[in-house]
Amino acid sequence: MSITLDSVFYTYAPGTPYASAALKNISFTVEKGEFVGIMGKTGCGKSTLIQLIAGLLTPDSGAVLLDGKNINDKNYDRNELHRKVGVVFQHPECQLFETTVERDVAFSLKHFGWSKEKVQSAVERALTMMGFDYEKVREKSPLEFSGGEKRRIAIAGILAAEPEVLILDEPIAGLDPLGREAFLVLVKRLNEAGMTILMISHNADALAEYAERIVILKDGMLFRDGVTREVFSDMDELQKNGIGVSEARQCAALLAERGFDVAKDTICYEDLLKQMIAIGRGQQ
Amino acid sequence: MNQLPTGMYQPGTSVVHQMKANIKIFCFLILTGAVLMAETIWGYAVLVLFSGCLIYFSKIGLQTALSSVRRLIWFLIIIFVMNLCFYGPENPWIKIGIFAPSYEGLMQGVHIAVRVILMMVIGNVLMVTTAPLVLTEGMETLLLPLKLFRIPTEQIAMILSVAMQFIPTLFEEADMIKKAQIARGARFDSKKLLDKAGAVMPLVVPIFLAAFKRADELSLAMEARGYRTDMARGQRKFGMPTGFEWLAIITCSILCILQILCL
Ligand SMILES: Nc1ncnc2c1ncn2[C@@H]1O[C@H](COP(=O)(O)OP(=O)(O)OP(=O)(O)O)[C@@H](O)[C@H]1O
Ligand SMILES: [Mg+2]
Repeated sequence: MSITLDSVFYTYAPGTPYASAALKNISFTVEKGEFVGIMGKTGCGKSTLIQLIAGLLTPDSGAVLLDGKNINDKNYDRNELHRKVGVVFQHPECQLFETTVERDVAFSLKHFGWSKEKVQSAVERALTMMGFDYEKVREKSPLEFSGGEKRRIAIAGILAAEPEVLILDEPIAGLDPLGREAFLVLVKRLNEAGMTILMISHNADALAEYAERIVILKDGMLFRDGVTREVFSDMDELQKNGIGVSEARQCAALLAERGFDVAKDTICYEDLLKQMIAIGRGQQ
Repeated sequence: MNQLPTGMYQPGTSVVHQMKANIKIFCFLILTGAVLMAETIWGYAVLVLFSGCLIYFSKIGLQTALSSVRRLIWFLIIIFVMNLCFYGPENPWIKIGIFAPSYEGLMQGVHIAVRVILMMVIGNVLMVTTAPLVLTEGMETLLLPLKLFRIPTEQIAMILSVAMQFIPTLFEEADMIKKAQIARGARFDSKKLLDKAGAVMPLVVPIFLAAFKRADELSLAMEARGYRTDMARGQRKFGMPTGFEWLAIITCSILCILQILCL
């Protein structure tokens, strides 16, 4: 499923003293199976962008196309849209409401007309994917879990519907390091199985490691869009605009400053390690 | 939110914006009295005219002023129809089952509808031209005399101001939760009553949970920063009314007295 934004504009509360132009003239295309990281300073319009893609907001002008079809056309099937595009919001743990974990995870499946067995197996699969023991948690209330666990339950509820596109808004903020790594590996696995991923994150390290492409917004406008390696190479320009790059990239820059021969496209730890080994060998 | 919530404060520089909050509330109370006292067509005409001036002077636009009326239009229609059909069963025009529309009912319905609309418009002007926090501070000064009767006005004011500050956050949160559930396939726009009822839980439960959680966190934060209920709070000094404010008070009072005496 390809996603295309064609000169999209969006303003909150137009025509009032509170009007704020959140997105200005945004155009880009994401092909099926891509892993795109979305970055930008706080308030630059990232969340607005994904809400437009998920059909939760309607652009003032311009179009959002899924597989070439405008999702805001009158005869576009909304249910189809919500089934194919899964969204994990900034605080997904807030959306839990059912009496048991099983029912909550199955919430979005209700409308699909699936058989009971199919629903149950999808729920079990999703909960297992998120690291839960299905039999142990299915009858518990989702409210008796910790914040991080609740978030994982909520995400299971979105994965259970097997969306073709998964949109994540700051999914790893507030998770412990192990949980973060495990979650990113899971997302990468889903991506390798063909799911298109759009992930908003302030964590440049995570994006450098996992995303193939980076889109950066600045004041509601498209600031950068390109292959991760190329985007992060241009560290000075990014930092001037208040956007952090990965630690590996910063480390490479420091080494280069001291006169070592380190490539500019050193963006993840693996790259850095290779470069440092090469330097070490050279000195021996 | 694409649409601002009804009655949300909109900064401005009009004369109504510049009036002190306590005086605005005071005038609002007098006007409420006037609306409740109104009986005749002339009484209502004067009040409608006055509301028109109010909207003009506050420069908030007819759209904003009438937003709550528009939002509650069904409520108004139901009230009107109920009055029309059930108020005066003695000499109805016709009688169909329990429905007995009559002239008295019609008049009563019009009375009530006009009153509610007037109240909503005046209330809206107050809300839209006064920042929430200032509004509560205004209430606090008006409540001060109650202290004589050992009523904890400071605590009441604190409750009000905390509640006021919560409203926008809760709106935002509710909006987010609604969007999240729509993305999960919940349908809030279905016309079927059963679907509508089913759509309530995914909204209400998370919104209440979020509200309780916020309240809990806030009370902890307040205590951590040393808030005690018996503590005196800093108060805004509103000072003496200006000329225009005297004019507003006098106009409102005359309106109210006119309603009682003549109209
Ligand atoms: N409901 C709303 N009403 C009015 N303005 C809004 C609303 N939501 C966002 N905005 C404004 O739109 C702009 C973009 O907001 P958005 O939430 O998309 O930012 P963001 O990039 O997701 O930020 P963050 O990193 O903090 O999540 C901000 O300037 C914000 O003030
Ligand atoms: Mg955001």
